[in-house]
Amino acid sequence: MSRYLRPGSIDEAVGLLSTDAALRIVAGGTDVYPSLGEAAARAAFLDIVRIPGLRGITRENEAWRIGAATTWSDVVRAPLPAFFDGLKLAGREVGAIQIQNAGTLAGNVVNASPAADGTVALMALDARVEIAGSDGRRVMPLGDFVTGVRSVALKPGEIVTALLVPDRPAKSRSSFLKLGARRYLVISIAMVSAVVDLDDAGMIAEAGIAVGACSPVARRLPALEARLVGVPPAQAADVVLASDADVLSPIDDVRARAGYRRDAAITLVRRTLAACAEAAR
Amino acid sequence: MTPATTFVGSPVSRVDGPAKVTGAAVYAADFDIPHLAHASIVQARVPAGRIAAIDTRAAEAAPGVLAVMTHETTRRLPWHPRDPRPGVDPKAGERLHVLQDDVVRYDGQPVALVVAQSEEQARAAADLVRVDYAPTAARTRFDVAYARAPSEATAKAGRPGDTSRGDPEGAFAQAPVRVDVPFVQPREQHAAIEPHATIAAWDEDGRLTLWDKSQWVDNVRTEIAHVFGLAEDRIRVISPFVGGAFGSGLRTWPHVTLAALAAERVGRPVRLALTRRQLFTNTGFRPHTESRVRLGAFPDGRLTAILHEATGQTSTYEEYAETTLTPARQLYACPNVATRYRLLDMNVNTPSPMRGPGAATGELFLETAMDELAHALGMNPLELRRANLAKTDPDSGKPWSSNALAACWDQAAARFGWADRPRTDEARRAGRERIGSGMASAFYPAHRAKARARVTLYANGGAMIQAATSDMGPGTYTALSQVAADALGLPLEQVRVEIGDSALPPAPAHGGSITMATLGNAVANACAALRETLGADGEGDLTPALRRSGRDSAAAEGASSPGKEAQEYESAAFGAVFAEVRVDPELGTVRVARLVGGYDVGRVVNPKLARSQCIGGMVQGIGMALSEEAVFDRHCGRVMNANLSDYLVPVCADVGALEAFFVESDDRVFNPLGVKGLAEIALCGVAAAIVNAVYDATGLRMREVPVTPERIVTAQAARGR
Repeated sequence: MSRYLRPGSIDEAVGLLSTDAALRIVAGGTDVYPSLGEAAARAAFLDIVRIPGLRGITRENEAWRIGAATTWSDVVRAPLPAFFDGLKLAGREVGAIQIQNAGTLAGNVVNASPAADGTVALMALDARVEIAGSDGRRVMPLGDFVTGVRSVALKPGEIVTALLVPDRPAKSRSSFLKLGARRYLVISIAMVSAVVDLDDAGMIAEAGIAVGACSPVARRLPALEARLVGVPPAQAADVVLASDADVLSPIDDVRARAGYRRDAAITLVRRTLAACAEAAR
Repeated sequence: MTPATTFVGSPVSRVDGPAKVTGAAVYAADFDIPHLAHASIVQARVPAGRIAAIDTRAAEAAPGVLAVMTHETTRRLPWHPRDPRPGVDPKAGERLHVLQDDVVRYDGQPVALVVAQSEEQARAAADLVRVDYAPTAARTRFDVAYARAPSEATAKAGRPGDTSRGDPEGAFAQAPVRVDVPFVQPREQHAAIEPHATIAAWDEDGRLTLWDKSQWVDNVRTEIAHVFGLAEDRIRVISPFVGGAFGSGLRTWPHVTLAALAAERVGRPVRLALTRRQLFTNTGFRPHTESRVRLGAFPDGRLTAILHEATGQTSTYEEYAETTLTPARQLYACPNVATRYRLLDMNVNTPSPMRGPGAATGELFLETAMDELAHALGMNPLELRRANLAKTDPDSGKPWSSNALAACWDQAAARFGWADRPRTDEARRAGRERIGSGMASAFYPAHRAKARARVTLYANGGAMIQAATSDMGPGTYTALSQVAADALGLPLEQVRVEIGDSALPPAPAHGGSITMATLGNAVANACAALRETLGADGEGDLTPALRRSGRDSAAAEGASSPGKEAQEYESAAFGAVFAEVRVDPELGTVRVARLVGGYDVGRVVNPKLARSQCIGGMVQGIGMALSEEAVFDRHCGRVMNANLSDYLVPVCADVGALEAFFVESDDRVFNPLGVKGLAEIALCGVAAAIVNAVYDATGLRMREVPVTPERIVTAQAARGR
């Protein structure tokens, strides 16, 4: 029979985890419950959404802290700088409104689906993952945290407490585009998130571009990001090369074939950059 | 004298609407039956073979488990043959005798059933049943090389293997303009939102009550009587509300038998609700069908040859066949027509009718080929249709009881703005998108069947209409209320309709778009009989006559059945569908910006619900054209997307502006009420119009649906080579 625990603090949660490694952490439950399939739940659950201070977005020093119980709707509704627009657009594509009301950003990351819309947007923003364990807290880059399909670098007894997004200059714009075989409520064939910071001359000073559903883990496109530096945003889409997709390793599945995914990803990269340029005008 | 009409023809709101939006409407799985136990199916995980061993010990020891049933522990049932078979059953082969032997016929077949105190306990224990299989060779690949002609019984039921009139091959060879068009339509699922569910309860006298999701309660009763060897009067089937079905509720599926078996075994009422995944393999589906259409025409567009071949899949144990080729024989005037229908036995569950069975598929094939012919002729696709209007049924030579197809074409074209559609490459450009326009005809044969209805009038002015029909969504409750209110001279809210119970006067299947033409007339006749009984005039409120008679209530029954018009005429609903799409050539995405459908459905009982029915069909047609496909893996013989996250029915964001309207029509030859039936016709032609519009936008002939983004891009790449 399943157990359902609701700790009141991070310390209590970590303590419970240290006594029972089989505990499955659940926040919004929008991935955990469907993953149980049609069989009855035999796992024991550790529900973290009632832990005080775990929900909400705060600015701390040079970073924005998104608590692990923060939902997609929280983010979409929050007054945030323009460089979060890509993340908000991703949030609007994570299932229906009901799912966005329950599902959390941290859960989207920890679930480690190759098609996680949120992970792509967070990766473009250089997000880091804050982790609590019995040895205290540690922080690691999102790109290192997600290690594979349904696999993350959480050690036994550890729990994600927040996502940390570095602050960006005022002249920073971002966007997100998703492609599925229907317009909405669909698992992505490919999705792209881009952020561009502009210098005083209006040229791209720094860019972050991530592609999802085209490799086991969402991938940044570092070669393209390097080429974009110094380029006027309106010309950014023209800088994209088909070979920028070489870092991707898409698969054939029920949603699309690898070749189509690769081509579509490049088209989406161009369009996402064009959308950033539009936002920067 | 014709009764005064007040409600028939009025756009009144659904009479069952408040009950549905407040949750008061009770669906099959919702009935609160005391001492209810719950059952869960264990499904086969190979497409063909035998059960070598089945270990139920862990399941039996699991908490709450009352029984685990397998083919080894389930009693043998008589499974008496049906003679004649109901119209919704395949005409050859034998239905699945569930839990009666060790043979696995398809992946997903029930091989065990767990009954427990709670649904969760049943599912948990079902997970513990260990089944070892001895697999055998399975046919899981659709290969027309193995197709065969349908049996004589199937042929007699309007699905012949080979038909010919005139000299089709000769005429095709001689035709100045020819097209030869292959096409693939994949397996589609009904995907109604309400899952199928059955509650079975036996009483101490051995009488069985079934609360079931069904479009035909009378047939559930008859089928279960045959399966269990019971007298029909020992069984009652109750199904007041159906949350969408599209044909999946026409047959009596094996889970109904399982529910009754389980209730018998544990001596308690049992509920068996299928999961979304199980719906794919424990009800039916629209079969994968591959087609070849050859058309020959004179330069002025007149058809001289139609040759249509189609192969549909069926299971290894039943011969399900469709009327895929009926449109080729009946939709257009053409002297030389041949059709050839073949079936491919595969290790799948048996397909079943799904909205517009045969017709929706056949018209997708025929109407996309007509579009290709129009372009081969250099002719406006609308003009090509007009040049081939069938003034009588070209197959039988009989007159149509009514046919306003020409009005559908004209009026829908005008409303769509067909004459002003973008015709040049430049006009078709809208930013990065390409605009395309396409059209198709729609056709669905109209029939009616035998039915009875009872009316009871009370001295307080209330009336009750009763019949064992169903309302899976089109509005049977409302439309029958309208007919009765007019016939009795009562306000609509004083009429109550009771349906979905086999204890009520008998009704045919709520399918094939026959319900209004059948039950509507039975209700009208029942009301007329009551009026006669009470010695009242031809119209007006009947309640005073009842009060004068001194009785508290009076009842009468009325019947309706096809008359000689069924021999003398052909009847059908017609329509014309126009589509505007926007194609993004880079990504291959297709967006349906507009659909306009004009329909000849006879008299429209309720314009509001009729429009609702039509826009529902349009949305389903968008799914058929662009996204719906049950992906069947030929290596493991399994549906890979048996869920609603990857079996993609359209969402609102996929749907553009929809316009449906009805041309002037009133078919009193077909039946006194003048209706022709409105359900299937709403799906017919939609997918073809969209596929044709995609061609107009891109120049790509997509000959397989769904037209996914990837298929567009692949076709473009192939053209570029």
